[in-house]
Amino acid sequence: SNGTKMRNIEDTKRVVRSAKDKRFEELTNIIKTIRNAMKIRDMSKCLEEFEQLYRAFLKSKTIVDKEGVPQFYIRLLADLEDYLNQLWEDKEGKKKMNKNNAKALSTLRQKIRKYNKDFETEIVSYKENPEQSAEEEEKDDIGSASSSKSDDDEDVTAKSLMKKKPQEEEKKAPEASKFLKGAADEESESEEDEESEDWGSDSVDSGGESEDNEGAAASLAVVFLKKYVYGDKQPERKKDDRRKRHKKMEQVDEEADEEGEGEEGGWEKVKGGVPLVKEKPKMFAKGTEINNAVVIKKLNEILQARGKKGTDRSAQIELFHALAGISNENNLGEGILVKIKFNIIASLYDYNTNLAAFMKAEMWKKCLECIDELLDILFENSNIFIGENIAEDSENLAISDQPFRVRGCILTLVERMDEEFTKIMQNTDPHSQEYVDNLKDEGRVCGIIDRLLQYLESKGSTEEVCRVYLRRIMHTYYKFDYKAHRRSLGLQGETKSEQDQEESEGEDSAIIMDRLCKFIYAKDRTDRIRTCAILCHIYHHALHSRWYQARDLMLMSHLQDNIQHADPPVQILYNRTMVQLGICAFRQGMIKDAHNALLDIQSSGRAKELLGQGLLMRNMQERNAEQEKIEKRRQVPFHMHINLELLECVYLVSAMLLEIPYMAAHEFDARRRMISKQFHHQLRVGERQPLLGPPESMREHVVAASKAMKMGDWRTCHSFIINEKMNSKVWDLFPETQRVREMLVRKIQEESLRTYLFTYSSVYDSISMATLSEMFELELPTVHSIISKMIINEELMASLDQPTQTVVMHRTEPTSLQNMTLQLAEKLGGLVENNERVFDLKQGVYGGYFNRDQRGGYQQKQGYQRGDQKGGYQQRQNYQRGGYRNQNQSSY
Amino acid sequence: GDRLNGFENGKTQLLCLCVRLQVVLKIIKHYQEEGQGSEVVQGVLLGLVVEDRLEITNCFPFPQHTEDDVDFDEVQYQMEMMRSLRHVNIDHLHVGWYQSTYYGSFVSRALLDSQFSYQHAIEESVVLIYDPIKTAQGSLCLKAYRLTPKLMEICKEKDFSPEALKKACIGYEHMLEEVPIVIKNSHLINVLLLDLQEKSTVADKHELLNLSSSNHLEKSLQLLMDRVDGMSQEIVKYNTYCRNLTKQQQQKQQYLQRRQQENTQRQSRGEPPLPEEDINKMFKPPQAPPRMDTLLIAGQVNNYCQNIKAFTSQNLGKLFMAEALQGHSS
Repeated sequence: SNGTKMRNIEDTKRVVRSAKDKRFEELTNIIKTIRNAMKIRDMSKCLEEFEQLYRAFLKSKTIVDKEGVPQFYIRLLADLEDYLNQLWEDKEGKKKMNKNNAKALSTLRQKIRKYNKDFETEIVSYKENPEQSAEEEEKDDIGSASSSKSDDDEDVTAKSLMKKKPQEEEKKAPEASKFLKGAADEESESEEDEESEDWGSDSVDSGGESEDNEGAAASLAVVFLKKYVYGDKQPERKKDDRRKRHKKMEQVDEEADEEGEGEEGGWEKVKGGVPLVKEKPKMFAKGTEINNAVVIKKLNEILQARGKKGTDRSAQIELFHALAGISNENNLGEGILVKIKFNIIASLYDYNTNLAAFMKAEMWKKCLECIDELLDILFENSNIFIGENIAEDSENLAISDQPFRVRGCILTLVERMDEEFTKIMQNTDPHSQEYVDNLKDEGRVCGIIDRLLQYLESKGSTEEVCRVYLRRIMHTYYKFDYKAHRRSLGLQGETKSEQDQEESEGEDSAIIMDRLCKFIYAKDRTDRIRTCAILCHIYHHALHSRWYQARDLMLMSHLQDNIQHADPPVQILYNRTMVQLGICAFRQGMIKDAHNALLDIQSSGRAKELLGQGLLMRNMQERNAEQEKIEKRRQVPFHMHINLELLECVYLVSAMLLEIPYMAAHEFDARRRMISKQFHHQLRVGERQPLLGPPESMREHVVAASKAMKMGDWRTCHSFIINEKMNSKVWDLFPETQRVREMLVRKIQEESLRTYLFTYSSVYDSISMATLSEMFELELPTVHSIISKMIINEELMASLDQPTQTVVMHRTEPTSLQNMTLQLAEKLGGLVENNERVFDLKQGVYGGYFNRDQRGGYQQKQGYQRGDQKGGYQQRQNYQRGGYRNQNQSSY
Repeated sequence: GDRLNGFENGKTQLLCLCVRLQVVLKIIKHYQEEGQGSEVVQGVLLGLVVEDRLEITNCFPFPQHTEDDVDFDEVQYQMEMMRSLRHVNIDHLHVGWYQSTYYGSFVSRALLDSQFSYQHAIEESVVLIYDPIKTAQGSLCLKAYRLTPKLMEICKEKDFSPEALKKACIGYEHMLEEVPIVIKNSHLINVLLLDLQEKSTVADKHELLNLSSSNHLEKSLQLLMDRVDGMSQEIVKYNTYCRNLTKQQQQKQQYLQRRQQENTQRQSRGEPPLPEEDINKMFKPPQAPPRMDTLLIAGQVNNYCQNIKAFTSQNLGKLFMAEALQGHSS
């Protein structure tokens, strides 16, 4: 009797397994480890495990004598030998192996050769007919599979790993292919397994089935290997497989008949997918009076199976549902129902053992429904108290005069739900219809949070209220409130009905944000929630162009000083906020502020990563799979993304508006520093182009515009920055696009005027302001004010002649020759200083030679000297000499 | 025997260099035809030594050849050329080489190396430096240089370490010696020249009175700055070396002291002293940076400064003249 399964529903007690099962399980486990070790070419591990296997096999000698040598054992021996021989042949690979591995390889090879002599006949027969053997082996595997569920997790990780590096896998493929071929049938089995995963949504049972099969497939990696190789022929193959599957089922059945009835039962259950509902009546013995105590007992029974090996998670969910139904039928009261609901939701969350995996759609739907129902119950019955702090034994689930007391935290469940939602969004292709469909659930999620918020406002502690408020904020802060925007523009809904709708839809998000955030500021005691709330608040302000509020909040919070101590998700939120703030400043025409806010994000060149909007392709060494998974979990879902091109464009245009006049003003300054490195980089890239065509990308547009601006040609600059291409790429993404464009034109005019004056002032004796105003299409007062500012800041050596309205140049700026001379002087200064240092050292040599302790004092003096000005070279030298002598004397 | 006349054992100084006008014109022509911008043209000088002066009677250019012209053999070409010249009864003795220069930048390692090999092989060799830019401004600029005996010594030793240069007491001023040049022509040519002078118009001499200066000065300053930067780098290198040396010396001293202490202790205990180890093996002195480059840079900087000085004083004179003229005319 091979398949004594743990999925007994009525009886959750541990079943005593037969000695054979136990032994064989041990063997298969070891074999699995060996296969894994083979895959990663870990010879020492192989050797170690092989020795264990050998011992385990000896232990199970009595059983083997009775049953015959199990096929899977033979299979491994054959495979291992082949594998080793292959490795042995591979001279290059051997060279690359480290010493331990190489040693282990040779030892193992000898051992297995000797050992295999005992099984020669079996191995030969296996090699002749690997398929059949494989099948037999498979059954054996399945027999022990149910208990090897702990491997599932590993497999799942391995699977996700595999996905990430198919190339690497491909490399390994040749090695594994033998294994693949040898296990041709198993492979199709795995394929089928994968299929059943694909079909996973059609019934809960198939989930259970796939689980079993997961164990059966000795390595899921094979599935992916296959998938990779045959990726193109998938549909064809699938059909093929289905046929095969049918055939095989028959085959299996036949064989199963031969083997014995116990196994057949096992197979029946898996393949036939007997609905579990059948067993529902068995939950309680017939005639049992169903009351609270019985249900609770049952509930605890189910709960105990939770998390254990071999527990069918989907079956458990079904069980809970059934129990809920029973308790409902028997009117056991809301208390018990709430309790069961809590458990249903918890087990729904438990369904995926892997934290990275996301909920399947049906699970998700079920989860939402459950939470909704739970909330319904809670709202309807105000006499239910729930809380984490209610101890298990002080629960009151029975109907009585006392209010119900149930242990459990609805807030945690909702928070988890929210996270699951994020996970689902993260794992959906953002460009698919599926994403849109999933996104539609956001409304429901928000609804649930809103309801919970109402519930907790009346019943929860402030702490809980803060938490749920933050959830609410998180779902609000990134959405642009079009309604409020329209209203502020004075546009009413066109028809009466629309107006009604608008009014009924509640208050502006700004007001909500304000209320929620202020509550958190006042009441929150965990720093994190407040930090997040502030950031979201700023983000929301910035998004709606309330620049001053946003800026003031940012400055008041002092977050800039200590954000580096926060955890990565908060940092990502901070980055998002800064970016939004910068973009807001840009819209308001505060170019400098915009540039400063965006500088940090843009200068790193990792904006994408910093905003949590995607991973950068980097070396695998820098980030292992584990880290990558963590990083992936941090990603912001697509619908919350900030457009990176918009971000870069805003940054580059701000940089252009600042940098070009600055460059013109400091053309000859040797120590000119760059305002924006990235902008310069783009300029250089533009210069390196051998052939300059009309600009295509956003960057090229900005570079071309910069060049035009350098010449003071604002019209060309304008046409490069604002045109149809740029509008569709960038500017139309702003809500008040027209206003932004007007602001931009004006900025371009002003900065071009400044650049023009810087660049060409040397060729003018005087220039009329009227001409300038005409050239740059600016009003006379504006020109006047710009020029006055430049004169006051001593940027322009000129004076204004009021009666004639002209700018008279003073020509006091140094010529290029003079500039060069200044540069030379500076360089010579450096040279002298360097020379001096050599001289210092010459003295230091002696000082150090005679008295080592002197060094400290000498260095001190040197430090003092460096702080000095260059002028007193001679003087200082004397002083130093004197000091040196004094010191020397004193040390003698 | 003829060529060593007056140069026995290299003791006599080369006092004067007589250059034929033909040579000068050939060099100018060579540059006009092949050199442009900062590119440099080079060629071979031919002539003979008469008493204490070297007469340069002819020259021929090194042909320009590209990198991929691997087969080209320069030595072969020179030999061939000299043989051919000999056939037409032209002086065929190799007495040096010439090179054009760009704003006076010629003090370089390349020049040093080739002039050293020339002077090493042919005692009386000189290098003629032709400055086409100055010449274009109206005054022929042709200078002859030789390496000083001191520098020859150093180059022969091939030791450019700081100590060696210090011992040799060589400064940038004593690297090259200029040999005065006299352009000598046959009487017939002189007559022709005088005749031409008569005929030439004033406009031909206008170049000399050009007042613009900034372009020339800017270029010179640029080059000067570049060299100053180079000098700074060299000094930093040297500085690091010095510091490393000091540090090591201290370590060495420490080690020696420790060893000595140990030995005295052992002596008092009656044990044999520790064997002396090769201290230099344990503390290998750091590689000293060659100082020749610094010297060359200094020489070059000096050269630039001289040039700029000469140029500015000339220009200043011109400016005063122009001012006077303006004052006179108004």
